[in-house]
Amino acid sequence: MNRTVLIIGIIIVAAIVFVLFAGLGKDPQHIDSPLVGKPAPPFALKAVNTGETIDLESLRGKPVIVNFWATWCVPCYEEHPTLVANARQLPDVQFVGVVFNDTEDKINRFLAERGSAYPTLLDANGKTAIAYGVGGVPETYFINRAGTIVAKYEGPMSTEILQENLAKALR
Amino acid sequence: MIATFFLLALLQVKVPDAAQFVGQPKGVPLSGQQLEEQTMTISHELRCPVCQGLAIGDSPSIMAANMKAQVRELLERGYTEEQILSYFEKSYGQFVLLKPKFQGVNTLVWILPIAVLAIGFVLVVSKAKKLEVAPAVDATPEEPADDPYLAQVRKMVEKP
Repeated sequence: MNRTVLIIGIIIVAAIVFVLFAGLGKDPQHIDSPLVGKPAPPFALKAVNTGETIDLESLRGKPVIVNFWATWCVPCYEEHPTLVANARQLPDVQFVGVVFNDTEDKINRFLAERGSAYPTLLDANGKTAIAYGVGGVPETYFINRAGTIVAKYEGPMSTEILQENLAKALR
Repeated sequence: MIATFFLLALLQVKVPDAAQFVGQPKGVPLSGQQLEEQTMTISHELRCPVCQGLAIGDSPSIMAANMKAQVRELLERGYTEEQILSYFEKSYGQFVLLKPKFQGVNTLVWILPIAVLAIGFVLVVSKAKKLEVAPAVDATPEEPADDPYLAQVRKMVEKP
């Protein structure tokens, strides 16, 4: 009997240790997106910096990079120059900024100070962010020419990370 | 309030809608006390994506407030609890559900505790049965008949 109890105990402890080890090194904030491989949720929002209305569905045929950010997000300050520089160098790719939980004044001040190269839309009540499964900012979605999400990146991007993910949208 | 409404209307030409994910509402539009209660119930079944293990109903974050507002709006429009949970699951995956679904690896979460309890119960019962079957130990051991010390003590006691 004692042998049986010991074996069962070892199996249970081994299973718990396996689960804990499998989670080691993983970012607890990381969420695997079920939207990768699915059509990008459509939206049409007015850009606070250019005044134009950006309808995602009208951008079919062009790779699109949708970057969720906010002026209160510190890593977004770090990422912004990378996005602006790449947007200027890649005219065939449509960059779109979506700002949530923020105000028009703060966004325009941020863009005036730090530069702007693409439309920035205000997602006032966060509905677009929720539909995309945004957990935190910055978060970026890469959409291919057919309107399918091909990659999601959480956190500030370097040019290498941006281009590595963009390559999936260009295939 | 009115100014905010008009600003929203101006900026939001079209936002993603639950109908694109889970179809038309299958329930009855809720209002009043029932709406508040059901909003709280569902808010405690959804995990806040920016907090550590908190339900959106318990989280003070803006993201959780936005999600809770959307739950409320969907209930007002007649979406059922199942449809609302499914809507959030389609965006965030099963991560967003505080009660894991009975499928795939998640099945273990439901089965393992019951299995461990059952194994423990079987072990306790079988151990108890063995104790019942074991012969009772006599608390007063028989005195050896030829104990010289005992004989000496008896002799001393019996002496007048």
